[in-house]
Amino acid sequence: MHPAGRRLPSRRQFAGALGAVAGTAAVAGCSSGPAKDMNTLQVWGGIPAENGPQQVIDRFQEEHPDITVEYTRYINDDRGNVKLNTALQGGVDIDVFFTYGVPNLTMRVSSGLAADVGDLVRSTPELEMFLDTDDPKALIDGDEITALATTRIPQMVLFNDELRERAGIDLPQQWTFEEYLEAIRALAADGKYGTYVLPDLARIELGPNYRFTADGDSNFSHPAFLRHFDLAAELIREGVLYPWSQALARQLEAYQQNNFIAEDFGLWTTAPYSLRFLTDQEEYPHDFTVSAAPVPTLDGADWNTGEYGAFVQINSKSPKQEIAWEFSKFWLLHGGQDLIRAGYISLLGDIDDDQLLEGILGEDAEQFFDVDSFRRTLFEDQPRMHLDTELTAYTEITQKYEQQRDVCWLLERSPTKAIETVDKNAQALIDRFEED
Amino acid sequence: MTTAEARADGAAAPPGAREPTARRRRTPGRAPSDPKPIVGWLFIAPNLLGVLAFTFIPLVSVILLSFTEWNLVSGFGGIEFVALDNFIAVFQDPTFWRSLVITILYAGVAVPLTLVVGLALALALNRDIPARGLLRAAFFVPYIVNIVAIGMTWQMLLDPSAGLMNQFLGIFGLEHLPQWFASSHWALPALILVTIWAQAGYANLIYLSALQDAPTQLYEAARIDGAGRWASFRAITWPSLLPTTVFLLVTLFVGISQTFGMIALITNGGPGDSTTTLSFYMYQTSFQFYRFGYASAVGLVTFIGIFALMLLMWRAQRGKALHD
Amino acid sequence: MTETSTAASGTATRPSSSGGGTGPAARQAQRRRRDRIRRWSWGIPMWILALVFLLPFAWMISTSLKPDLEAFAIPMQWIPDEPRWENYTEVLFGENSILLAFWNSVFVAVLRVAGELTTATLAGYAFAKLRFPGRGKVFIAYLATSLIPAQLLLVPRFVYFQELGLYDTLWALILPGMFTVLGTFLMRQYFVSQPDEFAEAARLDGASEFQIFFRVYLPNATSMISALAILTFVWSWNDYETPLVFLSSPETFTLPMGLTSFTDENGAMAAGLSMAAAVISIIPILLVFLIFQRRFVRAMTESALK
Repeated sequence: MHPAGRRLPSRRQFAGALGAVAGTAAVAGCSSGPAKDMNTLQVWGGIPAENGPQQVIDRFQEEHPDITVEYTRYINDDRGNVKLNTALQGGVDIDVFFTYGVPNLTMRVSSGLAADVGDLVRSTPELEMFLDTDDPKALIDGDEITALATTRIPQMVLFNDELRERAGIDLPQQWTFEEYLEAIRALAADGKYGTYVLPDLARIELGPNYRFTADGDSNFSHPAFLRHFDLAAELIREGVLYPWSQALARQLEAYQQNNFIAEDFGLWTTAPYSLRFLTDQEEYPHDFTVSAAPVPTLDGADWNTGEYGAFVQINSKSPKQEIAWEFSKFWLLHGGQDLIRAGYISLLGDIDDDQLLEGILGEDAEQFFDVDSFRRTLFEDQPRMHLDTELTAYTEITQKYEQQRDVCWLLERSPTKAIETVDKNAQALIDRFEED
Repeated sequence: MTTAEARADGAAAPPGAREPTARRRRTPGRAPSDPKPIVGWLFIAPNLLGVLAFTFIPLVSVILLSFTEWNLVSGFGGIEFVALDNFIAVFQDPTFWRSLVITILYAGVAVPLTLVVGLALALALNRDIPARGLLRAAFFVPYIVNIVAIGMTWQMLLDPSAGLMNQFLGIFGLEHLPQWFASSHWALPALILVTIWAQAGYANLIYLSALQDAPTQLYEAARIDGAGRWASFRAITWPSLLPTTVFLLVTLFVGISQTFGMIALITNGGPGDSTTTLSFYMYQTSFQFYRFGYASAVGLVTFIGIFALMLLMWRAQRGKALHD
Repeated sequence: MTETSTAASGTATRPSSSGGGTGPAARQAQRRRRDRIRRWSWGIPMWILALVFLLPFAWMISTSLKPDLEAFAIPMQWIPDEPRWENYTEVLFGENSILLAFWNSVFVAVLRVAGELTTATLAGYAFAKLRFPGRGKVFIAYLATSLIPAQLLLVPRFVYFQELGLYDTLWALILPGMFTVLGTFLMRQYFVSQPDEFAEAARLDGASEFQIFFRVYLPNATSMISALAILTFVWSWNDYETPLVFLSSPETFTLPMGLTSFTDENGAMAAGLSMAAAVISIIPILLVFLIFQRRFVRAMTESALK
């Protein structure tokens, strides 16, 4: 018996295939039908099971002994997301899945992969916050709700304290972008860079849905975008920012912890999910402490560049909508304590800030971190988060934007030209797909 | 050898062009015990049905799909007929044209260079040298290694700062080292480099087998006539290799123009759109943007283009063959 | 592998040696020495070139024995101080073991080869040796389909496999791989180069067409069949695109998919592990090739592939 026999087609399916090739296939299938077990919930997520999901699942199963939950971890990169998408489209037995980032969210929602849970949310008083359309934490389209954010992912500025002190920078509690620039310039010395990349200046200034004007046109002609490209390119040329060619060659876009640990740069704009690397002395040994500062403000604008994310969605084709919803609800309301270790700050649940802080920073927090600075930055400041809800051609526009960003920051195209191209492409895409 | 090629051509020719003559030539009179026609069909049936099922039916479906807008989830009921919209969009799509140019550049450089390297290696290896068999195998190895291993390895070898290649080039004190996959100018050349490395062994092997049949007596005669190496190569070797070259040209072009794995693994089409070839763009529109109808239209236009190109090449070659 | 002597005698780009005079022994010895020098003076540069060609593999092996961060150490250290053999045990038996992927690849490749050999030899033979109405047209259609970009068929096959319940099963790789146009074409080219007379003689003796194929032509075709077997094995073993789109559950992954799974959870590629996996993935195909290499080259030569 083939070990993957479970995945081989059933006799009926195989007979179908045989019909298609008119009996030419000379091989017999060894198979046992993967009949969909109505009490087994298939969940796909990007966090390794042992970093929290398994604990949530265990507790869920305790409460619902008749339900078994199987968790499949997919790698949240291009390839992993294609796998999940094709699995969903191809009718693989998946009931609940987690989506990271708005481009993936857009694709899944616009192809109708996610079930509408609007009525279910409205009938659950504890989930009232998801009905808020002013500061949305769910994807709401009229009455329809297709995705619920499970966490907030505030961005913050991390300092390598040793390098910070050497450069003579006081830990800021509030700071402007000008002060931020001074800091990274001061840090860029002795073969080190100031930081990896600038926080998204356009986002700080414009907040949610910043790619679109009020009329739904492309907003990339807004000077904030050009400023971001321009300034970053300038700083890369000066050697203040980490070279983009290096970032591309090593595919660092998603994760830069290795470079921060190696002290390639002393300041790093990131989110709580990165902190687990800093508490892991075995895999990421380092001897400096880390403190946190808020994302700088820009001309008085103070949007945090972080967003609500890690959306839980139910497969629209799942025959187990009810228990899928039970599970999603459980995850939202009671999953927080287990997921905090992975750096996921739950949107709901009765966990106070100290518990969260301890969860994120680990038991030996004082050894690695300036704990107060994290409390201040992540909780007391109440960073202003966003969620993009205008999704026309979002995936395509993201791609065009990143393409131009790359060539611009490789210093192979002028920022003006790059932004013009993004604007033109984005407008063309909007014109083409608007009615969708 | 040339006869075999002529026959292959004969079969590839449109009906009536050549096949009848070939047939007549081979069997002057119909033998009394000739097989019944049904037998031939029986022999090709297994393969034909498979090709019909897995290539022909999908091809028909893709033609139908190209006139629709559809994503799979909405089910077959959700298919929306949009007439020629997708095709109009293809011709107005700057990314399509850009990918076309990149594909032409990529295949246009990589295919001839692969041929040249393969031929040079074949000529060099077609001599009496120690452990020749092992040497031939050595050059073929890259061709049989999977693309993921190749991609990951070359990505690191061509790392702009610490890769082995630039460490090596650095020895010569070059100021501006190529940035390879981290540059929109160098990514395509880097891709071409890796492609040649991976494919040259294949061209080499095919050329080597062709050289085995080289007309030996002619070399002797040429030598007696006092012809130099180059002259005898041009007069004897090259003409005898022409059919092989055409075969390689076609197979390499078809293969290289469909390169996908390396692009998906190393550059993902970038930086910018510098390595977004048509094949990668097709994949992207289908499985990153999920515009199935549009992707089908892009693919069909590409297919028709390749088909036309091959037809032209075939005509040109036939014209030449008739002259000979 | 060391077919130097046979291969050398097979070709004649050595005009000097074919003169074969009967001069004094001293002159012969001198000529032999000159030949040896000539052999090595070509041989050594070619060997150096081959080593350069193979350098990426040396780098691959070297890196597979290092911790991740040393992959980019400057200057490159070819032989690690402390080779990390545990990279291999990790890849084989660790959390992301590639053993299952390995087995899946074997399973797919074996079935594909078996199916391909069956259908391609039959059809190739028919296209070459049997006359039947429509043969030319069908063959042209075959050649035309070989120009279809693989990516064009991904979408309809995806839909189709889903309808048939083949999506996310290994059959999605096996079935289409059993009926390739290229295989048929190669076999046809081979059979075309074989004389018709055998068949005619056998027919006069009253042999059926199947007997002629099985008894007369097939036994002679073994080297071409092994060549096709190798090629099919290579195509199957290295296929990346089809599993990328048609497989989604980790337990169905074939090796190329398995190799990519050493991008660790933190997004960084684990260089050492990835390279160890890559080395393991190469070994079987290298063995298959080295064992059949001579036969393969001979088949290519005989098959009128030129």
